[in-house]
Amino acid sequence: MLLTLLSHQWKAKLRSSIFQKSLVLNIILGLLILYFGSIFLLLGFGLHKILGNMYPGQDVVGIFNSALLFCFLIDLFFRFLMQELPVLAVQPYLHLPIAKNKLVHYVLVKSVPSIFNLFPLLVFVPFMYTSVMPAYGAAVAIVWVATLLLVTLLNNYLLMYFKRQMSTKPLYTLAFGVAIVGLMLLDYFGVLQLKAISETLFGAVLVNPWLAVVPLVLLAGTYLLNFYYLKAHTYPEELELRKTNTATGGDIAFLNRFGELGKLIELELKLIWRHKRTRSIAMMSVMFLFYGFLFYGKGKFMDGFGTLIFVGIILSGMPMFNYGQFLPGWQSGHFDGLLTQKNISPYQFYTAKYWMMVPVTVLAFILTLPYGFFGYKIILINAATLLYNVGVNVFVIFFFSVYNKERLDLSKGATFNWQGVGASKFVMMLPAMALPILIYLPFGLTGIPYAGIAALGGLGFLGIIFRKQLLQWSANRFVAHKYKLAAGYRQS
Amino acid sequence: MLTIHNLQKIYNGTTVVNLTELTITAGESVGLVGNNGAGKTTLFRMILDLIRPSKGEVLSKGTNVMQSGDWKNYTGSYLDEGFLIDYLTTEEYFKFIGDLHGLSGGDVVERLAPFTDLFNGEILNQRKYIRDYSKGNQKKIGIAAAALSNPELLILDEPFANLDPSSQIRLKNLLKKFREEKQMTMLISSHDLSHVIDVCERIVILEKGQVVQDMQTTENTLQELETYFTV
Repeated sequence: MLLTLLSHQWKAKLRSSIFQKSLVLNIILGLLILYFGSIFLLLGFGLHKILGNMYPGQDVVGIFNSALLFCFLIDLFFRFLMQELPVLAVQPYLHLPIAKNKLVHYVLVKSVPSIFNLFPLLVFVPFMYTSVMPAYGAAVAIVWVATLLLVTLLNNYLLMYFKRQMSTKPLYTLAFGVAIVGLMLLDYFGVLQLKAISETLFGAVLVNPWLAVVPLVLLAGTYLLNFYYLKAHTYPEELELRKTNTATGGDIAFLNRFGELGKLIELELKLIWRHKRTRSIAMMSVMFLFYGFLFYGKGKFMDGFGTLIFVGIILSGMPMFNYGQFLPGWQSGHFDGLLTQKNISPYQFYTAKYWMMVPVTVLAFILTLPYGFFGYKIILINAATLLYNVGVNVFVIFFFSVYNKERLDLSKGATFNWQGVGASKFVMMLPAMALPILIYLPFGLTGIPYAGIAALGGLGFLGIIFRKQLLQWSANRFVAHKYKLAAGYRQS
Repeated sequence: MLTIHNLQKIYNGTTVVNLTELTITAGESVGLVGNNGAGKTTLFRMILDLIRPSKGEVLSKGTNVMQSGDWKNYTGSYLDEGFLIDYLTTEEYFKFIGDLHGLSGGDVVERLAPFTDLFNGEILNQRKYIRDYSKGNQKKIGIAAAALSNPELLILDEPFANLDPSSQIRLKNLLKKFREEKQMTMLISSHDLSHVIDVCERIVILEKGQVVQDMQTTENTLQELETYFTV
C-alpha cells in the first residue's frame, strides 16, 4: 500500500501542470540541480585538500567534525525557511478503506527523498572515501556517514514537528528558534565552544562506532513524536497550516482620495497582503535591501561603475521586479471579473499599477540611502538608477506583462514555487538589468563615467515626463493581448 | 446503520451542527434538505470522520467512527472534488479504488456497467486527468467511485448539482435501482426537492444545524417542503 501511495506521489509530481507545461523550465531546473550537485560533489572530493591547506598539520577529519554541528544548525534554519510540509496530499485518501497508520507513515516517509536530505550526502560520502576511510577503516567510516545521515533525517523530522506546531502552538516554534539562535550566539561570544563540542560528539562515533545508536534512537523518537501527533490530527482542517483567517486590513482611507485609481491600488494592496505567495514576495524584497552589503565597501567593486549600477538597479527595483514579473497573473483568479467591470479601463488598470510601484521603488531607494556611508558615489548612482527604474524599467515590465499567460495559485508559498515561471521571466529580467549597463558602457569606455550615469538618469527622466504616452502604449498592448491572457487564466 | 448522539460542531462560538439524536436504519434512504449554512456538509464530514466533532459521537454499526476505520469498508462517499485524486486518469482512479476493495479489473468494468448511460461516453477512455474534466463530469466520476465497492452505506453531497437535466434523471434512476436491488442505505443531501423526494423515502430538514422536521415521503411531501421553504 505504501508503494502505491508513493507511486501516486510520483505521478502527482510528474503530472503537475507546471512540470508538464514548461520544458525550458525543467531544463533550467535540471541544470541547476546538476550544477549544485556537482559543486557539492567536487567539494566533497576536494575538501580534504582544502581543509589541509587551511589548517596545515591538523587532523582533517577532526576539523570537519568540528564544523558539523554548526552546519546542522544552519541546515535547520534553511529548512525552516524553505522546506514545505507534506500535508494535504492525504485528503483524497481519508474516506477510503486505508488504515490511518499507513497514511501517516506515508506522509512521514515521503519527506525523506528531498534535496535537503540527499544533497549533504554528496559531500559526506566522498569525504568519507578520501579522508575517513584511510584513517579509520571502511567499517567505521560507513558508521560515521550513517551517523551523519541519521542526524540529517533527525533535522528533517524535528523541523517537521516544530513547523507544524507553528499554527497551533506558535510559542513552541518560537522557543525552538530562540534555542537555535541562542546556541549560535553563545558560540559567537565564546561562551560555548560549539566547535569543540561538535568535534567531541562526532569524533566519539569514530572511536566507539556503537555510539551511532544515539542518533538512531533520537531519530526514532522524533519520528514517533511526529507520528503520534499526526495520527491524532488527521483532520484536514487541523492539518492545514493556514486556517481560514479573519479578514485583516481595513480600508485604506488615504487612497480613497484618488478615486477609481485609489480603489484599484487598494484592491491590489489587499491582494498582496492577503495571500501567502505575494506576502512572501514582499518579504523577499525586504531581504534584497541588504543585497548591497555583498558589494559595497569592497575595493574592486567600488572603483568601477558597472557593478554599482547593477546593484543600484536591484536595490530600488527588486520589489518591482519580484512582483512585476508575474503581472497581471496575480489577478488571474478574478481576471474575467476585472475585464467585465464597468469602470476599469486598461489605461487605468496600468496607471494603478504604475502608481503602486513608484512609491515602493522610491521607498526602497530611501531605505537604502544609508549605503551612502560607503561613498557619495553610491547615492549618485542609486538616484540615477531610481530614475531609470521609475521611468524605463516599469515600462519594460509592462511590456512583458502581456506574455504572462499562466494562472497563479496565490495560496502557495513563494520559495521553490515555479508556478508561472517560464522562459519569458528570464528573457524579461535581462533587459531590465543588463540594458542600463549597456547604456552606461560607451560612456564608461570613453572615460566619462559620470556622463553615463547622467544618461541613465536622463533616460529615466524622459520616461517619467512621457509616462502618460507610455502608459497608453502599455494599455494598447494589453488590449491587443487580453483575450489570450484571459484564456490562459481560465485554465487551471 | 448510523446513530448520532448529541453531535455538535462549534466554530468560533457559532454552533454549526447540533443534533441530539438521529438514527438511520439499514436499507433506509434519507434525503437531507436545508438552506445554505444549515450544516449538511459539516454533518457529512463528521459522519465520515473528516472533521473532529466538538461534542458527541457518530456510531456506524455501533462503533464510533473516530475510533475505528472499519466503517470505511462498507461506506462509499463523495462530497466534493477533494475526494478525487485529480492527477490520475479516470481508469487509474477506479482501478485504485477497486484494488482497495479487492476488486479485479474485470469486476471494476462490471461494476461500472450501470453507469454507462450516466457517463454518456464522456468519462472513460478519455486519456486525460481527472482535474481536466468539467465539474459535472468530476461529480460523475466521484459518485461512480463511491458506488464502486457496492457499499452498504452511500453518502452523497448534492449529487444533482452541476449535472445536466438528462444526467440528473439518469442518476436518479440509478440511485433508485441501487436502493431497490442492493438495499443500499443512502444519505443524500440536495437542493433539488423533487429529485430528492423521488429517490428518498425519508426526508430530514436541517436548519441552523438542527433537525426541524423528519418525515416519510408521501405524495404530499413536495408540497409540504415547498411550503416550508417559501419564506
